[in-house]
Amino acid sequence: MSLLLKNVRLETGYQYDGKTVVATTTQIKDIYIEKQQFQVIDKQIKCEADVVYDASGQLLVPSFKEMHGHVDKTYFSGPWKAVVPTTKGIFSRFEEEQRILPQQLGVLKERGREMILHYIREGHTHIRTHINVDPVVQTKHVEQIRALFDEFKEQITFELVAFPQHGILRNGIAFEAVLEEALQLGVTHIGGVDPASIDGDSQRVMALIISLAKKYDLGIDLHLHEGNTLGAYEMHQLLHWAEKLQFKNEITFSHAFALADLDQNDFQKLLERFLKHRVNIATTVPIGSGPITMPIAAIHQAGVPVAFGHDSLVDHWSPFGSGDMREKINRYNERFGIIDECGLGQSLKYATGGINSLTAAGHYQWPKVGDPANALLVDAMSSAHLVARRCPISTVISKGKIIHQEEIELKGAFR
Amino acid sequence: MNEWLRQVRLEVGERRQEDGQVQTQTALFDIQINPQGIITKIKATTKESHRQPGKDLAGKLALPAFKEMHNHLDKTYLGRPWKAAVPVKTLQERLSLEAQELVALSSDVTQRATKMIELHLKNGVNHIRSHVNIDSYIGLENLHGVKQALESFSKDLTYEIVAFPQHGLLKEPKTLELLEEALQSGATILGGLDPAGIDQAIEASLDQTLQLAQKYQVAVDFHLHDRGQVGLYTMQQWLRRTKQSNYQGQTTFSHAFALSHLSSGQQAQVIQELAENKIQVTSTIPLNLKSALIPIDALQAQGVKVALGCDGFYDSWSPNFSGDILEKLRNFCEYTGKSSEQALRQSLGLITNQVTPLNSQGQQVWPKVGDEASFVFFQASCSAEVIARVPKVRQMMHQGRWVNRS
Repeated sequence: MSLLLKNVRLETGYQYDGKTVVATTTQIKDIYIEKQQFQVIDKQIKCEADVVYDASGQLLVPSFKEMHGHVDKTYFSGPWKAVVPTTKGIFSRFEEEQRILPQQLGVLKERGREMILHYIREGHTHIRTHINVDPVVQTKHVEQIRALFDEFKEQITFELVAFPQHGILRNGIAFEAVLEEALQLGVTHIGGVDPASIDGDSQRVMALIISLAKKYDLGIDLHLHEGNTLGAYEMHQLLHWAEKLQFKNEITFSHAFALADLDQNDFQKLLERFLKHRVNIATTVPIGSGPITMPIAAIHQAGVPVAFGHDSLVDHWSPFGSGDMREKINRYNERFGIIDECGLGQSLKYATGGINSLTAAGHYQWPKVGDPANALLVDAMSSAHLVARRCPISTVISKGKIIHQEEIELKGAFR
Repeated sequence: MNEWLRQVRLEVGERRQEDGQVQTQTALFDIQINPQGIITKIKATTKESHRQPGKDLAGKLALPAFKEMHNHLDKTYLGRPWKAAVPVKTLQERLSLEAQELVALSSDVTQRATKMIELHLKNGVNHIRSHVNIDSYIGLENLHGVKQALESFSKDLTYEIVAFPQHGLLKEPKTLELLEEALQSGATILGGLDPAGIDQAIEASLDQTLQLAQKYQVAVDFHLHDRGQVGLYTMQQWLRRTKQSNYQGQTTFSHAFALSHLSSGQQAQVIQELAENKIQVTSTIPLNLKSALIPIDALQAQGVKVALGCDGFYDSWSPNFSGDILEKLRNFCEYTGKSSEQALRQSLGLITNQVTPLNSQGQQVWPKVGDEASFVFFQASCSAEVIARVPKVRQMMHQGRWVNRS
């Protein structure tokens, strides 16, 4: 399978007025793709290819990665339902799930499929989804979602997190066996959620998560909503057990609201420990009145990778997710007051697994020959333009081939 | 000639389900509109409806058309090539950067404003309140340009133009004259800006503003970014003048950042006074971590009228945002945790001049015979869904006339 893209716009550097970046310079190139990689990038390429597409000056950017989703329990594509107010916080949601998840089993795959297709239309070529493992659905969600993603394995990459949404210990010893069974069904990560407030014994939960992850050679993705010092305590606990049991695989802390509300000392200590364990962070860039939005750039610059995720698009937890990564980055830029060409352009990396076309100093960085050919063609003049004005995506390229395309009116700089 | 809209979905009530879920109930109606754009009949759709003359909406949901209550049509770069903004540390710095490019931008102000108006129309907005810079750099040039743009859409929307002293009221002696001229040349509201932060003369700035407003009998829309106690003091001083001059019901405080972070006593006190003097508040739902959201729910609970606006966008102040007032409303709901059917539904009033199809008890109050036929139509089941999901495809009717400029 080979793909020749003609007249592609690539970002080549920044243009300065004094020290301020005022524009991004670009060049039009042809790109030849084969074996899922960029093979040739040149002014004009004359060769045969299975597919030839004239991009007419559209910008090529790295494709998006959804790093925190829940494909398994969505209302997406189903009838509208608002959220029912809770009386006992998260425990009300568990009761609700015990009731509605079995009812939704029949539409689980169909809705999950619609959600994946939506993600692809919105430019995602990688999805990390959490999948409930709880006393009621047991391993059913994992089995079905695993089979669903297999349908897409030629098109996108994915990671599957076996996620004990209702806690672990509080569900009794029999549940631990269910969880362990789920871990053997082809998942890539074990999840967890607020071990202190949900299970009331974070020591034991952390030790268990680490030992299970180790036993089945999995990564860990822990959801932590707990605030300031409790959240920090939990993260230290997990890393303590990681050290003790010599756990070397990936650790992701999702949400990690605590990072938004720690004193500088505690924050630094935690970051240093993250670096030691190569921890990464997934955030939805939450908005709200409390201190819930972590200092994303500071964390990333310290060397702890931060990635964006959408979380629920629409389900019994929240109805607000659009699945639009440009909107998510836009929100990040609004939240942190980022308005300049360089800052806007550099913010794309939170959605692309850390890749930007240019370095912050304006050096060419992507795409290079040999890079995986996962990319988007967008009607924009620069990454900054794309994220600020949410320019449209015409073409989604994944694993070296076009997996989605739609007609858009090209307006270029005037969009 | 009267026109009919067939098979229009309207919200008619609500039903509480066993699990506590509230579901909005809708039904299909045929709506008759007279040549003046007023609803003259609303009757239930029948099996014959789609065969009868009129426009078949095929079950699309009708909501009241949206109001964009804080915009800067003169500032946008829309229609010019993409450009980001330049970071600054202070408002003063921002203003001096703006001053440098005001004249260069003025040549195509009408075209740029037109692009922005078209975007709002596409999003279902049929009323725009636009601020327009009146200052010694630009004089009345932006006012003329914006007015010309708005006038060309006079069949598609209604509008208000605020003569806005963006660079201060008292700093340049000429500004007062220019504002006066603006109020004689099509501006319908007098603007104001941070009497403390910009004019550095709270009382004098407020006095001059009041004098001018009274002379031309116009409403006032203050941009109050001044935070904390100095912002609160500014509001209190204006409230005092409002009472003394019986100028109630004529003022909007835009942004009003001072309303956040007050002690509960101070907050209750100022909100009560805002309500007593019928002062409106407009928020742009800023997401910036430095701008805490003002207590919109508390304001509304005490009877203060609150509206939303997109503010300027794609300009020298901000390159971000979609320009969709409905997204502002969704952000407000997400920010404040309004995700239930009722909470979502009732928030709609923030972008419809307080009109919601159902009242807080779930009874239908809109639309009624005699109402203006101004609607946005969505492929959606109810207003709560529209607010949470922000569907992009919309059709708008303004005063009985289809608006299709996109």
